[in-house]
Amino acid sequence: MSSEEIQPPTIPGNYSARKQNRWKSEDEDSVVSPSSSPPQHRKIAELSKDIDGIHTSITKFHVSPAQLYSTDSGRLFHAGSICICICGEPARGKTNLSISLCRYLRWLGVKSDLFHIGDYRRAKLGDITEDFFSPVPETIEAANLRREITDECIKDMIGFFKDGGQVAIYDAVNALSKERLELASTLNSNDIKVLFIESLVTNPKLLARNILDAAKSPDYANWGAKEAVEDYKKRVELVKPWYEEMNEPLLTYIKFINFGERLIIRNSRNEFLTSKILFFLMNSKIKSGSIYFARCSNNKLKFKADPPLDAKGKDYATKMGKTLLDHIAKTKGEQWYRNTQPQEIGSDLRQPAYGVDGSHENSLIVWTSTRQRTTQAAQMLKDLGIVVRHRSELTQLNPGDAEGLSESELAAKFPDEYEQHQRDPYHHRYPRAESYHDLAVKFEPLLYEIERMSGDILIIADETVIRVFYGYLMASSCDDIPSLEFPQDEIVKITYNAYANKAQRIKIDGVNPN
Amino acid sequence: MPVYQLGHVDNLRICVVMVGLPARGKSLIAQKIVRYLSWLSISTKCFSVGSYRRKESAQPPAQFFDPSNEDGLHIRGQAFEEAITDMLAWFNNSNGTVGILDASNTTRERRERVLKIMRENKIEPMFLESFCENDEMVRSNILDVNATSPDYKGLPSDVAINDMYEKIKYYERSYEPMELSNDSDLTFIKLVNVNSEIIINRIESYMESRIAYYVMNLHIRPRYIWLSRHGESQYNLEGKIGGDADLSERGFKYAQKLPDLVKQYIKDHEKLTVWTSTLKRTKQTAQYLTYPKKSWKALDELDAGSCDGLTYEEIAERFPEDFKARDDNKFEYRYRGGESYRDVIIRLEPIIMELENQENILIITHQAVLRCIYAYFMNVPQEESPWMSIPLHTLIRLEPRAYETLVTRIKADIPAVSTYKEKGTSKLGESSNPSKSMVGEVIATSSSADKK
Repeated sequence: MSSEEIQPPTIPGNYSARKQNRWKSEDEDSVVSPSSSPPQHRKIAELSKDIDGIHTSITKFHVSPAQLYSTDSGRLFHAGSICICICGEPARGKTNLSISLCRYLRWLGVKSDLFHIGDYRRAKLGDITEDFFSPVPETIEAANLRREITDECIKDMIGFFKDGGQVAIYDAVNALSKERLELASTLNSNDIKVLFIESLVTNPKLLARNILDAAKSPDYANWGAKEAVEDYKKRVELVKPWYEEMNEPLLTYIKFINFGERLIIRNSRNEFLTSKILFFLMNSKIKSGSIYFARCSNNKLKFKADPPLDAKGKDYATKMGKTLLDHIAKTKGEQWYRNTQPQEIGSDLRQPAYGVDGSHENSLIVWTSTRQRTTQAAQMLKDLGIVVRHRSELTQLNPGDAEGLSESELAAKFPDEYEQHQRDPYHHRYPRAESYHDLAVKFEPLLYEIERMSGDILIIADETVIRVFYGYLMASSCDDIPSLEFPQDEIVKITYNAYANKAQRIKIDGVNPN
Repeated sequence: MPVYQLGHVDNLRICVVMVGLPARGKSLIAQKIVRYLSWLSISTKCFSVGSYRRKESAQPPAQFFDPSNEDGLHIRGQAFEEAITDMLAWFNNSNGTVGILDASNTTRERRERVLKIMRENKIEPMFLESFCENDEMVRSNILDVNATSPDYKGLPSDVAINDMYEKIKYYERSYEPMELSNDSDLTFIKLVNVNSEIIINRIESYMESRIAYYVMNLHIRPRYIWLSRHGESQYNLEGKIGGDADLSERGFKYAQKLPDLVKQYIKDHEKLTVWTSTLKRTKQTAQYLTYPKKSWKALDELDAGSCDGLTYEEIAERFPEDFKARDDNKFEYRYRGGESYRDVIIRLEPIIMELENQENILIITHQAVLRCIYAYFMNVPQEESPWMSIPLHTLIRLEPRAYETLVTRIKADIPAVSTYKEKGTSKLGESSNPSKSMVGEVIATSSSADKK
């Protein structure tokens, strides 16, 4: 491994200089000189598409938004190659779980990718009979097809590891103990560790809801809702008698019960990445709500200034609030927010953290920063009885000494800094400033809170803050995050979806975009 | 019974309630949680019922813990009440966030009582049970407790060991482990046989998940952690900070001597893994070591931004305001375009987590980074840690124990410049204040072992 040899430094300097060197593409020079021109890889044209990047494959040189460090190999934790095998009966939220896990691992900087057996199966559409879905098919054709599809998926995973991938997430039922042992031994012989995550649901209500969700999957694209549910229920019943709950003493596995209510880990080798994944699982819930982002009204204020809203700002706040309420009323019904009144709870019950925020599917919670321009923008909603929380973490990016300077003034005042900033606007900080990366690290706990909530949430914050949250939810790359645009006359809505999050922009009428 | 408006519960206050028989590593885990959360600036305190009990009964024999010993029961009950009272006062008066109740809490009755008191005070209990049936593990914990617990200070070890086994027997009589069947409504973590099985039930807040995550990574087996700064570098000779310079001649000598020091002092050195930063001076220091090596960007020196490559005199001259601002609050001060100590702690957090997870690690890194790692293991307060003196050409051994971390310094006897800068000056030189230097035993090695 190259890290063991002593080599002359390719670039002088320290931590941040080396960080900048990390995502240069392969064909660029290996030496960065401060005078070289900024790279032209900004993809502004693509930004407006609002597409969830979670299914886009990433390159070896990809740097993730919250990546704190990486090793010379571009991998993290020195954990080696790991296949996370998500198993469980149909309708246990496996696809949802695998996608949110992938989103999280990529955000952390682990090179991860998804392998849904369903995608491979759909590619062979036409040959699929109902028999195929049985773990032990009655016909030889179905059995062979199952084997073929599994082999193809495993082959692709092994290829992904050879290309420098670190975590492959394999999403399949894996009903039989025999199948799981075989998978583990195939992968182990390729020097890939396997961690099983078994999703179990013991709560019938959760299961029923999940069946409704699963009936909206790509398998049922052209089906009527009722027929899709009926057909999916059949698939669930087909697997049920065959499914063997995990209990293999030689495998490392996590039982993920009722979507995080309980976790049991067995035969853990005390591996770092395993515990990191557990950490995420402890915080993840099946998401049902949407996240709305609205900007505060005046973006031209000094960082330290904190005046109350002016007339224009109040007008904006009213229109923004009304647009949001109208939108929700249209999609969820007129009376939805009445459910958000605080409840009383006796001391014989467990106290939920952060009040009841987001514990109810039909709730709306508003987060603002502690600046008056955001707290007052939420006043109208607060008066309606909607819970508003002020979070100091949501303060805009601190521009430091770059405050109020135009591009040309920056270039004149801080030529070297300006140069570096052009090269890496995501990680670079001007003197006394914060970088987007600083914000991402600061927001990590808030992301866990969002992952825990099941209702809707509105975040009223500065554009810099919205960019980072959007970047997490839509799996944007750090090249793109600093130039994402959120005009003032739009509310951005991101809806969690099992396969890909959906972003939508809601126009606020009668408001200036800037 | 008080009733809460949930809208008022803005932040959850948590009481971690330890559960388990004696010698299951409870105190070690409790101390570790305090260290970790405090290091991350979260207000945390441990209330050990044992230390309240020791005020009345300093070194009681095992019979004291016999459930039929009324005097013992009375004193232990009182100690429990005192600990709880102090903890509640701390939560209310000092804005506590995480309180830890370090006691055996082996009966369901006791746990229900804690649950009730905490909930009535708007504190959510989180139970943390260490369950162990592995005899070897228990025995090694007994040895550790006997060596460090004030209960056994000054007693011959065989007497202490027998006493401990007897004490455990008394506790076993009434032990009711936490179970999914009975305790499924409670928030709890159960560690079975040193993490070979972990049950995590009803974690409902970020802080709880953070604690659970940390505990899962903990090793409660005895072990050492080895640390060293890189050898003296060219920049050290010139008094410059940062950069990516080569080792000086004396620095190379230290690198040459390091394999002998390792062989001589690290018992399990065959299993050693060496972690370095990505900078030349740490890799060169490790170059004669034949063990597996890993280089981490997170171990790189604090980034001095615009001041990288300058001497302190030059910084004082060119950036006088910065120079003063840094001396005034060295922990929070962030170099222009660079990092603060707080920034370094944030990027080191994954390293600490992995370090807790590993054994036999030698870390060769830089002054500021070592200050942060040392502060974590030694509970050095935030405002003091950036001022610690960590000498060059010294192999440092940390031994985390239940009640404290022991430090041993093995000096290589190769001279080096001092890179220590006292507050208010731009001159380099070791501090005259002994509180700034590391604690622990110093072993001097002779220079005759030098390779030429």
